[in-house]
Amino acid sequence: MITVDKRYDIIPNDFNFAGRASSDIKRTLKSMHFSREFIKRVSVAAYEAEINIVIHSRGGKAAFKISDDTLYLEFADIGPGIPDIQLAMTPGYSTASDESRLNGFGAGMGFSNILKSVDKMDILSDPNGTVLKLKFDIAEADRDEDR
Amino acid sequence: MTLGQIIEKYKCNVYSRTPFNTEKEIRYAFCSDLMSDALMIMSTVRESGILEDSVLITGLATNQSIRTAEMLDVQIVCLVRGKIPAQQVIDLADESGITLLGTELTMFNLSGRLYQEGIVGIASKK
Repeated sequence: MITVDKRYDIIPNDFNFAGRASSDIKRTLKSMHFSREFIKRVSVAAYEAEINIVIHSRGGKAAFKISDDTLYLEFADIGPGIPDIQLAMTPGYSTASDESRLNGFGAGMGFSNILKSVDKMDILSDPNGTVLKLKFDIAEADRDEDR
Repeated sequence: MTLGQIIEKYKCNVYSRTPFNTEKEIRYAFCSDLMSDALMIMSTVRESGILEDSVLITGLATNQSIRTAEMLDVQIVCLVRGKIPAQQVIDLADESGITLLGTELTMFNLSGRLYQEGIVGIASKK
């Protein structure tokens, strides 16, 4: 059964709105009483992925879905793509602009942080765009926090 | 050390308008101007309560400091070197329930003083 199905626009280079989608994802999970631990995992991955679109792409969309025991996040942008995914995954490697760095990003840790948080990650990229699919398994313990 | 003591001792401006508890005990801190580093280190904390009792010390007076704290469940952000946040940053802090402080002290000096008071750093878990 699908319990959540939300979509967000992500605006390129707009550091004021950056993080809005992740913030809504976090608040939604909080209102559904997931455990803090689980919420943090999802939020950190969502935020890094959202920031990636803001600082590197021409814009994109995020989708947030919960179906039974799985939470899915999908981030799709309209290019210019990641020329070398292996290199982009290397901790510390970054092609971020000076403006991104002034906003506290471009440490080259985005993908490392995402990988640490998710249960499964798939990425497809070509010059027309990048699609990042993240999957989180929901365990019984992730659901039981009441606050 | 309590939040109230920190504000008084280091002459912090309180920029956010959301009410906060001056008696809140602050036990941990992390400082960085790079939000990815804050996310990387602080997201490894597994024990509950640690991030909630932490302060994020940064010279980055933008929305992203507030967003980063929000994602991590950190409730207090302290700007150093006399940085004054823009109104939209203050508004976002209020919306996210984050207490936003600012001090004239540099990052090193504030961190050193807090450490002397027994506040310890958050380190990455291997």
